[in-house]
Parts: sequence; C-alpha cells; structure tokens
Amino acid sequence: MPSEIDDLDIKATKVDAAFTPVQDQDLDQYGEALAQYTIVDTDVHVDDTLMRMVDYMEGHYQKRLQAALQADFRGEPGNSLRNMIAHVNWLGSSYDKPPRAKLATKTELLERMQLGIINYSILFPSELLPIAYLPDPKWAAALATAYNAFMVDEYGNLPGVKIALVVSPNLPDHAVEQIAKYGNHKDVVAVCVPDVGVNPPIGDRKYWPIFEAADHYHLPIALHGIEALVHDNYPLRVSHFPTLMQVHSMGFPFTGMLQVMSVVCEGVPVRFPKLKFCVVEAGLTWIPFIMYRLDTAYRQYRTELPALEQKPSDYIREWYWGTHELEALPKRGDLRKLIELYQGEDTTMWASDWPHLERDLIAGFMRYDMSEAMRRKILGENAVRFFNLEQRK
Amino acid sequence: MTERMTDQPLADQATGRKLVIAAAADLPPGTRMEVRVGNNLIAVFNIAGTYYAIYGRCPHQFAPLSRGRLQGTVICNAQTNWETEWAHEGEVLVCPGHAMEFLVKTGQAIGYNLKLRTYPVYEEDGQVVLIA
Repeated sequence: MPSEIDDLDIKATKVDAAFTPVQDQDLDQYGEALAQYTIVDTDVHVDDTLMRMVDYMEGHYQKRLQAALQADFRGEPGNSLRNMIAHVNWLGSSYDKPPRAKLATKTELLERMQLGIINYSILFPSELLPIAYLPDPKWAAALATAYNAFMVDEYGNLPGVKIALVVSPNLPDHAVEQIAKYGNHKDVVAVCVPDVGVNPPIGDRKYWPIFEAADHYHLPIALHGIEALVHDNYPLRVSHFPTLMQVHSMGFPFTGMLQVMSVVCEGVPVRFPKLKFCVVEAGLTWIPFIMYRLDTAYRQYRTELPALEQKPSDYIREWYWGTHELEALPKRGDLRKLIELYQGEDTTMWASDWPHLERDLIAGFMRYDMSEAMRRKILGENAVRFFNLEQRK
Repeated sequence: MTERMTDQPLADQATGRKLVIAAAADLPPGTRMEVRVGNNLIAVFNIAGTYYAIYGRCPHQFAPLSRGRLQGTVICNAQTNWETEWAHEGEVLVCPGHAMEFLVKTGQAIGYNLKLRTYPVYEEDGQVVLIA
C-alpha cells in the first residue's frame, strides 16, 4: 500500500520499479502548459503483431500464418514479424537492459487519449514495417491487406484516433487497390509506405501508381522507417554494423535521405505537385544536410534531372517531418536554429513514437526554447494541415 | 541557470530541511519511494538495509528515476584490462524512460560526464530522514 506524508509541498510515495517504459510522465508535469495547444501525436503505435493479423488474413495466407505462429521464435514479442525474419546477431545485445519495448493495447491508447491533452493520435504500423523487404511481395501484400482491415475495424470511429494505411510498395497494383478501398474512410488520413529496404528507391516510376492513387484521394504519403534488425537492401546492409545501436543510429536517417533524394530527383513533385510527403521517425538533423548537399550537386548535374523546375531544396522544403526521434541537441536554442536552417517552422510535426521504447516524452520537446507561434505549429497546427484534421482547441 | 541543458536538472531547490519521509518499517530493504519537494523529485532506495537518495528526474527527458530498476551493468576499462565485465550488481539505477544508467550511490551517470545530486538519508528513531 502506498504511504503518503503531506507536509505542505512535500509528498513521499512508495513506488515500484517499472518493467516496461514509463509512459507520459511528462503529461502530469506539463499538463497545464499543454492544455492550451491542439496537440497531434504524429506517430503512435498499437499492437499489430501477427497474432492480431491472423484473423484478417485471406485464403491460404491465413492457414500458413497460423502454422508459422505455432513455431517458437526467440525474442520479443514472440510472434513478431521482425524476429521471424531477423538476423539474430543483434538479438539480446541491445535488449538486455530494461525497460523493454512495449506495444499499446486499444485500452491503453484510449486511456492516454482520455487524459485530454493529446487531441489526435495518428496510428502507424509497427510490426508490419519490415514488409518492404519481405522476399515475396505477395506475402507483404497479404499482410498489408490484413493490417488495413484490422485497423479500420478495431481503430476506426474512435475520437481523435486516425489511421495511416500501410501499402506494400513492391506490388503497386495491390497498393492502389488498398488505397481505393479505404481512401474515402473518414479516419484514414495518410498512406504509409514502409521505406526501409525499398528497392529501387521510392521515387522510381514503378511506384507512381501509388502516388497517383494517393493524390486522387487527397491522402498524403508518409514514409516510416524501422529500427531494422535487417538491412539487406538500400541504403545499408547488415554487414555494416556489429551493434544494433549503430544500425539504429544510421538506419532511419540514411533511409530518409535516400528516399527524399529519390522522390525529388525522379521528378515526383513535378508530376504530382499537390501530393504531400512526410518522413517520420528519422529525427531532424539530417534534413538541412540533404537539402543543401543536393542543391550543391544540382548546379553541376542538372542535366541529369531535366524534369526539375526548381532546385532540390525548394521541393524538399515542402515536405513535412515528424520530430521523433528528437536528437539530443546540447543547447536550449538549438532546435529552433535547426528548424530555421531547413525552413521547417510550417512543416515540422511533433511525434512521440508512443509507446515504443525509444519514444519521446513531450518534456524532451518542451524544454527547447522557441517562439510561442512555432511551438503551437509544431505541436499541432502543422499536422492538422498535413493530415487534413479539424482544430480541436 | 546556464544554457547547457544537461545542467538544468541538476539545479534543484534543496533547502537542507530535515524531512521525515516514512517509518523505517515502511521502507524495508528492496523498496523505494518517490519524494516530491515542491517541484523537485527525489528517489529514495533501501538497498540491503542502507538508504540512498538521488535526484529524481532523468536529465534526458525528465522520466522519474524512482521507478528505475536496480541491476548491474557492463564495464570495460584499464582495471578490467579492456575486457568487458559485469559490475556494480544491484547498484545501477536504469532510467525507466530510455534506460540511461546511474550509479545510485554516487549519482554518476555511466558513460557520461554527468553526475546527479545525491542527498543525505538515514534512519533516526525508527523514521527515515531525508535532508533536502
């Protein structure tokens, strides 16, 4: 039983050790300050492990997945797609110290929303993120089909809860079917392309039917990376990294840079000028690098990219960015300086990655100095515009 | 307050007040308490009969350290002849937010040039007393 002693402003409470990551402790710390903002959490994950998918799989894929799930895979969670296909050389290396990774249940998501501080949660796939490098694209498509049906069924029609469809880029026709099936659903707000391992990179003409369909339904494209126990494809390979810390650090931003470069250099923004893009879960510090690095090369190599009508950074400036995983910048003014450098005041969107282990607590964002207007935009207004949401506060 | 953010959580409002936080019987070995003094959080542990008190929020993103697990960790230095060894069993406080590690006895963050404040805490007349 907790024992409490109140002596004016002193309170002592008996507590227990946490075996899963603490969640939203910042909301009690910053709740009052945050109450004035419309807050959109741009990257939220619920339990989409294969156990959840199996009832929504179709035909022989359901039977085969049922059989696969009876096997005993080492790792956490036991029925994880990434563990099924992982090269196990990292397992145990970074997972040996608590807290452990966590997936949110529907109840936990709703409890978090009921605190009333976060107005919108945009749900992204979690265990389904490696589908782009499944060797058999038909399996990837079958899983994407199941995921979308599951998400709309379980998480549609919940206040403040919005869904990013997941599509398998390796079967563009199937992706187009999925976008057409759910494109008018009121709670579907984006098309998520898992971008790690996509080969050729995502700007290739092979994928343009996906962009055309998203454009038709006024859905933005969200590129979401993965920590990736497996990098058998672009831009990094397993053999580059002896530790998961290194693949985590390089994997997200290098994938982001590769895909942004590909989309711009292949002329996608010229062909689909109204289609909006974002990158989530790749941090922010690399954005000015890729913008201005490409501008420098563009002067010399422009004839390789005859479709472009502006320099690369003019297109990249129109992209949106999720803040997670917020890099640990040393000074309070550094985040504002960084955002000014890539001109992202109107395109940067707060994202927590809740409830994953590496999620950002909102205190990690609030501690940075910036104008009230910039803070308001990043916490919600930019995401409201990107995902076509209604202002809630 | 300096501009460097890593200094920020170390600035606390310690008053040197003598605070009775619990009856000793209510904080037996293996248990811990979170003590809120104004806006300041302090984590108090009883490890094998000895009390330890440490600044209660992680300097990374302010997660509450009182909920952190106590375990050992790996070290690799000249004393270990640059071999990796398990050490500090039961004395490493692992942040429940993102797993930053601190030596609970000294406040030293492992792998960082950073030390959290520690506070005197002891038993007196059957009560646990914290100076904060």
